[in-house]
Amino acid sequence: MDILLAQTTDAGLADLGKAIAFGVGVGLGAVGAGIGIGTIFGSMIQAVARQPELRGELTGIQWLGFALTEAVVFYALLGGLLAFVLV
Amino acid sequence: MSFLLAASESDFDPQHEFILQEWVGIHLGPLDLSVNKAVAYLWLGGLLTIVLGIWLMRFGLSLRPDRRQTTGEAIYEAVQEQIAESSIPSKALRLWFPYVASLFLFIWILNIVGFVPLPLSDEKFDFFGLQLPTWGIYAATANLSVTLALALITFGATHFEGIRYNGVRRYFKSWIPEGAPKPLLALIVPLEVISQFMRLISLSVRLFANMLAGHMLILVMLGLIFIFSAWWLIPFSVIIGTAIYLFEVGIVVSIQAFVFALLSAIYIGAAIEPEH
Repeated sequence: MDILLAQTTDAGLADLGKAIAFGVGVGLGAVGAGIGIGTIFGSMIQAVARQPELRGELTGIQWLGFALTEAVVFYALLGGLLAFVLV
Repeated sequence: MSFLLAASESDFDPQHEFILQEWVGIHLGPLDLSVNKAVAYLWLGGLLTIVLGIWLMRFGLSLRPDRRQTTGEAIYEAVQEQIAESSIPSKALRLWFPYVASLFLFIWILNIVGFVPLPLSDEKFDFFGLQLPTWGIYAATANLSVTLALALITFGATHFEGIRYNGVRRYFKSWIPEGAPKPLLALIVPLEVISQFMRLISLSVRLFANMLAGHMLILVMLGLIFIFSAWWLIPFSVIIGTAIYLFEVGIVVSIQAFVFALLSAIYIGAAIEPEH
């Protein structure tokens, strides 16, 4: 369990800060992507409920939108990782 | 057994799984063309793609399709209707449908092979005196070089086709939105040029980060047992790890291959007919 007890050296504190910053940064990125993905699937359900015959055409667009939105959280993750490794 | 846990605790580091060791060193000046784990996975993926394509679609086709032919036709139709025909103009379909379809199949197979445990890992274990590689999962697409290379092919094809069909002048003019006021051009033109290169980054990073994050999540879930050295974590870790695994195999693998192929088709199609 000693991984949870940060050593009270400067290096230990810096590591702790980096870990917290990484977690919070990626978490904030995930908030945005979560809202976006929710909107996409919500709109898809509404659209299909109103016009079920369009389902086939909409599915492709839905997954495209899903992937484009989901990628946002990975930019946050990648940026976080870069900052984590470089700083 | 707790000795085993304690020994693993100190050297557990998720990113070690993604460090590639040279198997056969090939160095051409500054170029490092060494064969490593990712290259082996790429070869395997390429071979499987070829075999699957030939097996599904190349022989024994009949008017009353059996299950094998039905699968092949379903894949073909899905790519044709969902990806190619909706985004590539019909005059370029003959040339670019095969590219988009093989891109889809290749990435899908690379992704799915990445979730099959194979004895290709860099780590060895002792089996009655034999040094055998451990079974592990690794995806070639969880490597930025692979996805960047694939994205570069699409990037090159986009501009090559754009110039071939429209001529240099008309193609680059089509980047600028029509009717844009003159003073704003100094702002719009750099933005448009940057956005062309952003496509390269977003296309490659999307696939790479998705696969990397998927593998990392499974690894970290199981690694939690070793980090905290707690047996009671095992049921939670294994159940959540399995759930993530199923999510990746069932949804992410196909969607990422689909989106990569679809975006390639959209970019190429938009370059051929910019007015759309």
